[in-house]
Amino acid sequence: MSKGFNRFILVCLWIVLAFMYIPIVAIIGMSFNGTAYGMFPYVFTTRWYTTLFTTSNLPAACWLSLKFSFLVALAALVIGTLTSYGLQYYSPRLAKKFNSIMQLPIIIPWLVTSISILLLATFVGMGRSYLTMFLGNLIVVLPYVVLLVNARFMEMDRTPESAARLLGASPARVFWDVTLPGILPGVMAGGIMALIVCFNNFVLQYYLAPVGVNTLPMTVFTRIRSGYQADLNALSAIIVLVAVVVVIIFSRLGYSAGSLFGMSSGSKPKKGE
Amino acid sequence: MQKNKRKRTIHPASLWTLPSAGLLLSLTIAPLVMLLLFSFMNRNLFAGQPWPGWTLGNFTRMFQAEAFWSLLWKSLGIGLLVTAICIVAAYPAAWAIAKVVRPRFRGTLMMVVILPFFTSQLLLIYAMMNLIQTGGIVMTALESLGIHGNSILYTNTATVLVLVYEYVPYMILCLYSSMEGIGDNLVHASHILGANRAKTFINVVFPMSVPGLLSGILLVFVPVVGTFVEPNLVGGSNGMMVGSMINTQYKDNLNMGYGAVLSCTLLIVLCVIMAIISYGARRAQRKIGGDV
Repeated sequence: MSKGFNRFILVCLWIVLAFMYIPIVAIIGMSFNGTAYGMFPYVFTTRWYTTLFTTSNLPAACWLSLKFSFLVALAALVIGTLTSYGLQYYSPRLAKKFNSIMQLPIIIPWLVTSISILLLATFVGMGRSYLTMFLGNLIVVLPYVVLLVNARFMEMDRTPESAARLLGASPARVFWDVTLPGILPGVMAGGIMALIVCFNNFVLQYYLAPVGVNTLPMTVFTRIRSGYQADLNALSAIIVLVAVVVVIIFSRLGYSAGSLFGMSSGSKPKKGE
Repeated sequence: MQKNKRKRTIHPASLWTLPSAGLLLSLTIAPLVMLLLFSFMNRNLFAGQPWPGWTLGNFTRMFQAEAFWSLLWKSLGIGLLVTAICIVAAYPAAWAIAKVVRPRFRGTLMMVVILPFFTSQLLLIYAMMNLIQTGGIVMTALESLGIHGNSILYTNTATVLVLVYEYVPYMILCLYSSMEGIGDNLVHASHILGANRAKTFINVVFPMSVPGLLSGILLVFVPVVGTFVEPNLVGGSNGMMVGSMINTQYKDNLNMGYGAVLSCTLLIVLCVIMAIISYGARRAQRKIGGDV
């Protein structure tokens, strides 16, 4: 009926995708380019990867960020899962209220969140510290976990839990043996999401990290300001690769793109019930 | 029903929400109160020093600071521009994924769209900087075509470009989520009943995608207005936005009270805009609900 129109729409899609991916592909290309400044002439080399793992300050920062994000994600995972579980026993109206307050840390610009938490830390005499940074990142990633586990609860059949209760299992046992396996994909997705958001969160770490401590985003920020960075290209290529793996994991867990951000539709899991 | 509602008691399991309720209270609500409190302080607060006094000076200083208001306007303008470009770019893309592409490719394509989210904000900025810098691919290509000029890097244009680059996936995601729900039959019906494509879009597709559009606006406009990272990295010397000014109060000038006032004002302005948008969203939803 509208072949020409459809073709036009598809061309638009490809243009947008090209816009999104040309910089990423270019940076992967640059990471194998021997010419240190600028693009040409293109000489293939793996030198920058060697530099990255020997003399660069990036791996150390990366390692610190990984350890830190892992701790934050773990805490968010536990607290977020319990929150989502508890929310199932709220009245729908109250749960909706709670969820919308829960979204605040995502909605408020990170700059304002960072500043206000820094002020609070100053007020209670804590100042910039690992604990401040931990708490700040925790509150920002927590909503993602709650969101993803909530979505899982909505799709789950809750009758086995009642059955287990009737058969005499204690609430703790029911949670551990029946509820948790059911929501596990959501818990895992929430954990990964928390890990990634925390790993990449520059603004909060820039404001809350103890003086002198540099996480990966902070190091990258400082380095970008001084221009071209060959070992940063190599690291970018690796991070893109990791992102691809993460996206594949998410689709395997049955999450569509929309459900990752709490969009109502598009959250049907691929796996059968 | 009414009776049951009256008798409702708190289920013990609902107490599991207490830890995060506590966190929200102490790490979201309390800090916002601090923002307000520090707005009235006449000095910085340091451990071991006497408590600062109270003043309205920060407010009067803000109202007299022309730089702040012009930066606020500029940031709102950039936010508007970036959001508009994102909408224009995302509508056809979202429509293509939701309706034109074969269904089995939809999930994969959406994953492709949000992949940049999983790399980091800074790496995206860096990738775009590399592309447009002097001696980068774009400039080299232009030069080989005989077009000579300066790179747009370190200008406001670069800031807008990088922001669009970062936020267009969110807009596609939001629009896609609401377009996915539009039935093919509905579009067909509209065609069969004689509406042309433009009419179908205005009367069928657009109204049904309004909730997604509004949440997309929220997800793009708010962070863009409040950002300081992009202007700082790619905006050059004239690239400051309101976020940069607030950032300066903490990173260079160390002026907690003044910075708090500016943050408060930014937050309030954004809140007002968000309130208008979500009011619009609710109205739009009610209108569509009423029509169907």
